Amino acid sequence: MPKIKIPRKSTNVDMTAMCDVAFLLLTFFILATKQKPPEVLAVSPPSSVSSKAAPDKSILVTMTSDGKVFLTLGDDTKKAAIIDDLNATKQLQLSPAELAKLKKSEFIGLPLNQIKSAMASNTVISPDKMAGIPTDSTNNELADWIRSVTNAYKGGNQRDLEKMLLVKGDNNTLYPVFKQIKQAFKKNQIYKFRIVTNSEDVPKDSELAKSAGKAAEEK
Amino acid sequence: MAEIIGNLKSSKKNSHKNIRIDLTPMVDLGFLLLTFFVFTTTMSEKKVTDIVVPNDRDTTTDLICESCALTILAGKNNQVYYYEGGDKNAIYKTTGYAPEGLRKIIAQKKALVFNRLKSDRMILIIKPSAMSNFKNLVDIIDESVICQIKRYYLAELNLADRKWTD
Repeated sequence: MPKIKIPRKSTNVDMTAMCDVAFLLLTFFILATKQKPPEVLAVSPPSSVSSKAAPDKSILVTMTSDGKVFLTLGDDTKKAAIIDDLNATKQLQLSPAELAKLKKSEFIGLPLNQIKSAMASNTVISPDKMAGIPTDSTNNELADWIRSVTNAYKGGNQRDLEKMLLVKGDNNTLYPVFKQIKQAFKKNQIYKFRIVTNSEDVPKDSELAKSAGKAAEEK
Repeated sequence: MAEIIGNLKSSKKNSHKNIRIDLTPMVDLGFLLLTFFVFTTTMSEKKVTDIVVPNDRDTTTDLICESCALTILAGKNNQVYYYEGGDKNAIYKTTGYAPEGLRKIIAQKKALVFNRLKSDRMILIIKPSAMSNFKNLVDIIDESVICQIKRYYLAELNLADRKWTD
């Protein structure tokens, strides 16, 4: 009697398909995630319990730990208008080519009187060599920038503008730097803005946690 | 000759060999990177907190009841000074940013004001000194959010305050 041969199946699974799926998802996630807006300088912001997400388009004022102030105009639709407005109001006399170069730069960190020469030259100044925007009480150039920002958004909703104004500071930035930024906003009748923070858990048993719990129950 | 034969043999052998590679480590790597990207993208999202600065041009004076006010001074080296009520004859006390320090004081004051006036009228006055850092300011504002203080003011130090913070 002939033996019945049971064909032995290999336990090896073809991994090619799985590999394909893994890398497909990987590529999808890498491409789908929004690229982070360029970080001006290494700044580690303080943390808060706030859970509001930062808006996509923003006018960001960054304070570094050594007290330099940088401005990032994150709203591409208004960026050109803001820079044109400043060029006109502060008589920077930038040529069209210099203006175009300034509009392309990701952030602004130079005093007004240095902008023209920096835009005219071909050498790129690294952010840590930039002097930052002067914010002294006698020469608060940030206030001029903010004025151009408010001019560009004129006619729009003030609330919407307030939501876009962000201040990002390093943990170790000294308070006077913030005070001058506050002053720059105040000069332009802006009394409400936002601070960029890292998220932190709401402490248990606090009033905030209790009221958040109540709101959740009511829902 | 022997070598050539050997080579021939081995090449023959190779052609018979299965060319399938084990892809398991590659799949592992793929998923590892995938998890990494998924996690980092959701976690790097920045948050924002609102801040209100007083309007100096507003000439309508805002009346504050003296017993409703708690003034917090942010000094250097993460030191906190505070006093209750008005700035005349203020009794300065010192505390820290730890939850059992500042948060407890704010919560106590809030409860005290609420019990006395039966309304939530407590006002926090924040006076950061020139030597305090940005984290200190955000921490104090954050504490006011945690304790659900409805109003706070950012003010400047007066002479008596400076004696303590400098």
